[in-house]
Amino acid sequence: MSADAATHDDHTPSLWDWKRWVYSTNHKDIGTMYLIFAIIAGVIGGAMSGLIRWELAEPGLQVFTGEDTGWGALFGNEHNYNVVTTMHGLIMIFFMVMPAMIGGFGNWFVPLMIGAPDMAFPRMNNISFWLLPAAFALAIISLFVPGAGADNGFGGGWVLYPPLSTLGHSGPAMDLLILSLHIAGISSILGAINFITTIFNMRAPGMTLHKMPLFVWSMLVTVFLLLLAVPVLAGALTMLLTDRNFGTSFFDPAGGGDPVMFQHLFWFFGHPEVYILILPGFGIISHIVSTFSRKPVFGYLGMAYAMVAIGFIGFIVWAHHMYTVGMPVDLKAYFVAATMVIAVPTGIKIFSWIATMWGGSIEFRTPMLWAIGFIFLFTVGGVTGVVLANAGIDQSLHDTYYVVAHFHYVLSLGAVFAIFAGWYYWYEKIFGVKYNSLLARLQFFFFFVGANVIFFPQHFLGLQGMPRRYVDYADGYEYWNMISSWGYVIMAIGMLLFFAVLIESMISRRKGEANPWGEGATTLEWTLSSPPPFHQFNELPKIK
Amino acid sequence: MRFLTAFALAALTSASAFATPLDGQPTDGGINFQPAATSIMERIHDFHILMLWIIVPITLLVMGLLAWVMVRYGRKANPTPAKWSHNTLIEVVWTGLPVLILVFIAVFSFPILYYQDEIPESDLTVKAVGYQWYWGYEYPDQEVGEYISTMVADEDLQDGQLRNLSVDYPMVVPVGATVRLQVAAADVIHNWAMPAFGTKMDAIPGRINEAWFRVDREGVFYGQCSELCGIRHAFMPIEVHVVSQEAFDAWIASGPGSDESNELLAEYTAARETRLAQLD
Amino acid sequence: MAGAVKHDYHLVNPSPWPFVGSVGAFLLALGAVGNMAGLVDADSSIAFMYGEGSWGGLLLGFGIIIWTMFGWWGDIIKESHSGDHTPVVDLHLRYGMIMFIASEVMFFVAWFWAFFEYAIFHEVRLDPGLATWPPAGVETFNPWHLPLMNTLILLLSGTTVTWAHHALQHGDRKGAKLGLLLTVILGMCFTALQIYEYTHAHFGFSIADGGNLYGSTFFMATGFHGAHVVIGTIFLAVCLFRLLAGHFTPEKHFGLEAAAWYWHFVDVVWLFLFAFVYVVYQ
Ligand code: HEA
Ligand code: HEA
Ligand code: CUA
Ligand SMILES: [Cu+2]
Repeated sequence: MSADAATHDDHTPSLWDWKRWVYSTNHKDIGTMYLIFAIIAGVIGGAMSGLIRWELAEPGLQVFTGEDTGWGALFGNEHNYNVVTTMHGLIMIFFMVMPAMIGGFGNWFVPLMIGAPDMAFPRMNNISFWLLPAAFALAIISLFVPGAGADNGFGGGWVLYPPLSTLGHSGPAMDLLILSLHIAGISSILGAINFITTIFNMRAPGMTLHKMPLFVWSMLVTVFLLLLAVPVLAGALTMLLTDRNFGTSFFDPAGGGDPVMFQHLFWFFGHPEVYILILPGFGIISHIVSTFSRKPVFGYLGMAYAMVAIGFIGFIVWAHHMYTVGMPVDLKAYFVAATMVIAVPTGIKIFSWIATMWGGSIEFRTPMLWAIGFIFLFTVGGVTGVVLANAGIDQSLHDTYYVVAHFHYVLSLGAVFAIFAGWYYWYEKIFGVKYNSLLARLQFFFFFVGANVIFFPQHFLGLQGMPRRYVDYADGYEYWNMISSWGYVIMAIGMLLFFAVLIESMISRRKGEANPWGEGATTLEWTLSSPPPFHQFNELPKIK
Repeated sequence: MRFLTAFALAALTSASAFATPLDGQPTDGGINFQPAATSIMERIHDFHILMLWIIVPITLLVMGLLAWVMVRYGRKANPTPAKWSHNTLIEVVWTGLPVLILVFIAVFSFPILYYQDEIPESDLTVKAVGYQWYWGYEYPDQEVGEYISTMVADEDLQDGQLRNLSVDYPMVVPVGATVRLQVAAADVIHNWAMPAFGTKMDAIPGRINEAWFRVDREGVFYGQCSELCGIRHAFMPIEVHVVSQEAFDAWIASGPGSDESNELLAEYTAARETRLAQLD
Repeated sequence: MAGAVKHDYHLVNPSPWPFVGSVGAFLLALGAVGNMAGLVDADSSIAFMYGEGSWGGLLLGFGIIIWTMFGWWGDIIKESHSGDHTPVVDLHLRYGMIMFIASEVMFFVAWFWAFFEYAIFHEVRLDPGLATWPPAGVETFNPWHLPLMNTLILLLSGTTVTWAHHALQHGDRKGAKLGLLLTVILGMCFTALQIYEYTHAHFGFSIADGGNLYGSTFFMATGFHGAHVVIGTIFLAVCLFRLLAGHFTPEKHFGLEAAAWYWHFVDVVWLFLFAFVYVVYQ
């Protein structure tokens, strides 16, 4: 035992002590900050999608009219639509899903589940968090400085393709965005190093890798993807930066460069990134399904290695986003085959969840509703992914709303449902108070209906040929767009209910139990009080 | 089989406004691809139907299984949970079966891919160049230099022109001719996309990409730029007139991009429409 | 009361450095954009901070980051001396360093990827002058002059740092100091030669100075390597000063080991650069 640890304060500092948060070296406090950050970013990103749906409710320009009168002037012109779409995508991915899942739930529950007192590098953990507000601030500032010509902000899509992101946006907005993503990337890499070290070195005595809870497995795979994918993005971003400011020609045909090269680098990161967004969700769902079925997870090893397989294959399928760039046909054929293979380990997960429920004694508590919703909706998004994987048909569907529908089913209905499932699963553990489960179920109901009404019709729009990233569309796309926008209203009510649950529980302060879920909840976090002590496991638990 | 699918889809969305699908443009409330005008698009259509027959049952299976366990294994229906968590046979099945399904998909998928990619001997080459924010067309075989094709602004729309889809000087190809399309870009990436043809090709600065199509009927077809290219990305549509060989030759002779060439097209289209109206 | 701590992990005390460092990163980024693209007009009162070509914001951010590094790593050294680095914590540090180097490797993958893509698939380019490798008019370096020299220098420095490490392990502090000193000097020689080579390049870096993608890939790949050499040299120099100040024991000297690992990584990257950029695709 070290001298320092002995002097370490054992009592919980006050909530209102600012140093507790700003100087924090406590994984649970840092996790909470991540969650709050994710909620703020989610609200901003969600509001931006509201502007998108408002604009697209009818043909013609509603919001981004560029006129100086009335409401419209507030939001600028068609360029600002592109800016909002771009930032919606970036914010949701980098500042909502990743912080919520990896930073929030990962920080909270990886140490608890492996029986560790904290993360391996508690101080580095804190800079992983604090770099995010820095990155977010840079992204937000970019909205207010020139991007393309006199128009503010970067409107080149979250994929940042040059030459639109170089010659097409000569203003400082894009430079700010590049550095914002650099900083977010550093945060991710440091976080990944921290998690890998924690998971490898700090498991409680007796907890072998093959006894490790699946959420920890999912985090382990996720952070390996981060560690290996994000630096490649950093390289690509740096090339953009030098092309823009120092006259290099990585992507500039005038100097022999090739814009397609950027796409390769981007998607080499970007495809693993989408699994980074969903794998922690897979982990969360496994625990919830098992808990509320009162039955151990079916095929534990298969579940763990399916995630390893998904992570591995995830690195060799990137060019399925680039079927229309004019690749050699044999290369396309390879990427078709490789991409479809991912359906196999993913199918293993889906069926194993169902098998976990099979024979169980299922209780439909709030987290379980979200989890079942997840399993179904993720399947819908997954199978349209398999359609897109076929380069022959992707020729028709690429860059249409079919793709938008696909990825919102796996993200906005997949990843987000997993986040809410985890949120309601661990709420009592994190905050030490009970929530009103009726309100929370109502939120689920509005989200489920709303999200489906938003995104299911987008398949039809895509089949009919409606391109993505369009501020205004041909009149033939009106019907389903209108329905989609009404879906947003339903979903927005769900969002209000989310805050209603939060506020109600904070006001009424019903004291939380250590384990509200009963015998189905078997992982270590449920052996601790709710909320857990400021420092847990001063004496390490032993795993049989 | 096709009928069944259409029926299932119709049942699914019975609320929608069902009009007969329009040719070469989106149909409001439509739920499937635009009608195919090329052999490539026909194959894509068929493949899509095939995929629906695979993915819809898989989704329904997952839904059905979920519903079943929810009903059968609810806390009331099954108060004591089972203890097992392994079954090697079933795991092998649900690993092996998807593999077989995917192989089956691939068998039908790869031929389309190669069919699209291998350009048959062509009758005609057209070069399309993307600019911020309009298209330029060139007919090298006919020695027609580049002319510019720009969207018709809302206030200039004539009768029969479509908002956000019609252009001032369309591209024209002869019916039944195999067209080699060369796609390039001058500034940023654009994408020449024509839903009814099953064509979608990136226009990338510093490269020339090639695609092909052979349109099997006359008509006017609309497409749109399908790669984000800046503020007016939504406003650089593509209009292709498919006409008889004679009309095409006359159009070439009249000088594409000129007012005469447009008058010729207008007459031709009007004549075709009266012809069609009489047929009905 | 949760009871006495009965484990060997290091529960770090609250620390201001992460927050300060983040503020530094934010200001550095802001200053960099100001410098490169200009965030405010030239006649603004804060033009010296964030106007185009200004250095104020950049230096402010950079200063804060340097300050953070001193503070943060200084704390780590103090903690190490006060016995917080138990064997398991030492193991953490090792894992951390290995993972960090792994991520650095992937960063270089991006630059090699660009290089190989352009060196191998050059026929696709429309401009005939650029459809060869190296592009027409580019006169590359003779790998068997300075680059070979640099290779030998780096390889030699790899042995001297190993010497220092072994000497330290066997209690020969004098040998360790000498080995480290030599390594630092060799590192500086490498950098000096590299700067010399850069100033004698017959191809430009940017389009403005007549360059093309050859210069882009060459200078960015070797330049990032060079930057890592500089960082590695500083890292080793810090270890040298710590050694002189009496830090490190034959059993515990992870700071030095980490620097050595980093140095070997830099060395290996160079071997790849030398083999492919200088020799194979010259
Ligand atoms: C969480 C994020 C996430 C996830 C998990 C996925 C999962 C998958 N995605 Fe998706 N995808 C995105 C996020 C995601 N995607 C995003 C953001 C984009 C757009 C990026 C942009 O351009 O902006 C995109 C785009 C995208 C494209 C490019 C489309 C285009 O631009 O033209 C393709 C093409 O192959 C694709 C394929 C797939 C496949 C095959 C899977 C598979 O992993 C799915 C596997 C799952 C299942 C198949 C369901 C469960 C399985 C069973 C029940 C077993 C039985 C099934 C069969 C035998 C079929 N995705
Ligand atoms: C995780 C990713 C994510 C999520 C959740 C969403 C959510 C939504 N998205 Fe979007 N979207 C993208 C990622 C995402 N999106 C991406 C990558 C693009 C492409 C960008 C580009 O083209 O460059 C895109 C593009 C995109 C388009 C296409 C625009 C165009 O091409 O022109 C549209 C149009 O309808 C749309 C709509 C919506 C709507 C209505 C929602 C609604 O579901 C929003 C409702 C709000 C929420 C569901 C958030 C709630 C969550 C929280 C508040 C956090 C809670 C946190 C905790 C509990 C810890 N999005
Ligand atoms: Cu041109 Cu989009
Ligand atoms: Cu992908």
